[in-house]
Amino acid sequence: MGKVTVTPEEFSLVFFEADRIAAVTAEIAAKVGIEPDVQVEIEEASPLGRLRVRSVEPIELWAQGGALEDPRRPRYLSERHLAQSLGRLLFRVKDRLNPDFADAPQDDDLTLQQQNIWDIYCLGRLERAGYDAAKSRWLYHFRTRQGFSDVSDAAFDRLWAADGLTWADLESVRTELAEARSAA
Amino acid sequence: MKRHLTVEDLARDGRFVRVNMEDRMNDPRNVGGPGAYGRDAAEQAGEGGRAGRVGLGRMVPDAPNAPDAARSLMHGIFVGEIQALEGAGRTCYDFDLGDGADQVPYALKLDMARQCWDEARHCEISVKLTEWMGTEIGEFTESPFLFQAACNPDALLRLAGVNRALEGLAIDVFNTMRDFGDKAGDPVLEFCEDWMLADEVTHVKMGSDWMRKLTVNDPERRARALEFQSVVDKLFSLGGGRSDDEDSPIRLARRFRQMAGFTDSEIDEIAEVSRQARNEAEDRVAARRAAMAAAAGSSPPAS
Repeated sequence: MGKVTVTPEEFSLVFFEADRIAAVTAEIAAKVGIEPDVQVEIEEASPLGRLRVRSVEPIELWAQGGALEDPRRPRYLSERHLAQSLGRLLFRVKDRLNPDFADAPQDDDLTLQQQNIWDIYCLGRLERAGYDAAKSRWLYHFRTRQGFSDVSDAAFDRLWAADGLTWADLESVRTELAEARSAA
Repeated sequence: MKRHLTVEDLARDGRFVRVNMEDRMNDPRNVGGPGAYGRDAAEQAGEGGRAGRVGLGRMVPDAPNAPDAARSLMHGIFVGEIQALEGAGRTCYDFDLGDGADQVPYALKLDMARQCWDEARHCEISVKLTEWMGTEIGEFTESPFLFQAACNPDALLRLAGVNRALEGLAIDVFNTMRDFGDKAGDPVLEFCEDWMLADEVTHVKMGSDWMRKLTVNDPERRARALEFQSVVDKLFSLGGGRSDDEDSPIRLARRFRQMAGFTDSEIDEIAEVSRQARNEAEDRVAARRAAMAAAAGSSPPAS
């Protein structure tokens, strides 16, 4: 496993510890099977929760501070949210390094539906890697993005349990859900 | 049994974590909170909204943070329902019967008892709605502001602060979340909000009616109550996030407020108070950004 670098090294607006973020990121990266160095930039001034894979060569991850924050203790780090947020990104990096995801748009160009489907596929694997992935929270996210329907719930279950999917597989699910929404 | 409980006297199990308004206001980051509301400044500017209000955008389902914003807000409503139950219950018990300034009529206690019944039902609805939305009880902080407004030793000010100001805010929030549920296609959220909204209109109407009855021959007391209500309205307008503006997270629900006994001029006044709160919140953010930029030795980040 390569080195994990966290920016900033010291936080002034929140009570995060860069060393802890680096340690958890390294632990997840090892479980995901990512060997190169990883750079993580945290935008501590934002309480929102956006995430982005900026680059895969080199691996650069970006997160707003709210994505790592404990909702019970504002401005403090949550190990659970840290794992869910950076774990999702690391699985996305792993996918992007796979030629089967060559057609996937850059993170900035993903639609909310595409990103959401990909998130669920990542989070299911994160849970099986031993982390609390808050399945019920993400089911609500999925329903909000993809529709409140039996078709949507069945797709969620398939994505959560899946492994070895390709970008074409994720797009196929998106098309199926879009058609179900149109039919409704 | 003790009368006039403080917030510290309220019973909570270990799942609940309280945060006070002072801590929230002193957060040196931009306005908002964990998962709070939808769009950032650039997106709002692109939609014709005002820039510079990071974290406080319209509550719409296709906003990037919408699902978590809805979960957080509904958890806030859930703990508010608990406090509303506690507040109405205390008002039934804290005052002797009578016509004096520190007494209340029996019919007022009956109204508060009916409100307890409603609030208990809202707590049960909220627990189930919370589960539906994938939220754990205590996943977000509890702000005790509603019960604090219900601690006033004057029953009329309690009614002004809780029934008129905060239950009025509840009307705005429920109406907004009902629309959110409708747009997101979430039938459970939409119907739960609609049912609770109907009760809130009744609670605000009770406050409006009692305010007039209890002060029919005492304009000074009525003025004090309205002033207290205005203070509470401004404090809890969510930093101006509740307003008439199209890009507000919480829209002022004029029609439902009229049904609850508010006059048009009273609603206009609330909108004005919210506008002031919004400007003050934006000034605070600008000052924080300038301070951060000064500390970093650069110019302030663009809004």
